[in-house]
Amino acid sequence: MRKAYRFMLLLYPRGHREQFAEEMNQVFEQLAAERRERGWTWYVRFAFGETAGLIGGAARAWLERRSTRPEPGQTPTRWMPQELAEAQQRVDASVADMVQAIANHRFERARVLSNQEREAREKLRELREKYGDEYGRCV
Amino acid sequence: MRHVVRQHSLETKPLTEPVLLILTSLAAHPRHGYALIQDIELLSNGRVHISTGTLFGALRRLLEDGWIERFEQQDTSRQKLSYRLTGVGRRQLQLELDRMKHLTRTGFARLRAAESL
Repeated sequence: MRKAYRFMLLLYPRGHREQFAEEMNQVFEQLAAERRERGWTWYVRFAFGETAGLIGGAARAWLERRSTRPEPGQTPTRWMPQELAEAQQRVDASVADMVQAIANHRFERARVLSNQEREAREKLRELREKYGDEYGRCV
Repeated sequence: MRHVVRQHSLETKPLTEPVLLILTSLAAHPRHGYALIQDIELLSNGRVHISTGTLFGALRRLLEDGWIERFEQQDTSRQKLSYRLTGVGRRQLQLELDRMKHLTRTGFARLRAAESL
């Protein structure tokens, strides 16, 4: 079952595999051990569920990959290296939180968030230097 | 006068059951993948057994949307990578729970009204 699982992971787009395959394997092995202890009925149900989940998940990952190809000028977070995408998201989230804090007159909180945003931007700038400009301007 | 700002786009985004369960599971504290699956079984009284394919598909979308973030946890468990809610994810969960509360109240009110007829 373990080999079959690893094989089925090849159904996923490469980006998803790079990001999650190792983690998925670990979780699968822990779950398989636990379900085996519960009995064979549980294990067979688990095996069917995992197979269906992987096939459905891979199909959805491919469909989403096609449907989220960025338009010209759009921030292409889904196509960035993972750490770059996450850094971009941290900047976006910090800005959104800061705007909300200011709008709600929570200025002390806004000041803390402003510091967080500055650090997040600095991290993003470092990553953009590392990966170059091929992923477009994001800030 | 105080103005409360909400992001309109978040209010209109529908949540699937796995996503709602994942966000609820992460509301208290961060968890790694295996702990998420176990907690989701607990949250749903054993009704929902989420597969790894479903879990990591949902986690990928939540990461892409900035509702959760992934980080390395320094502990002794096998899995080092854990997930936690961002401010955006927490607000989204709050909005969904508010919607559910409103729906539940309305549903019970209508049931009571039908029973009293």
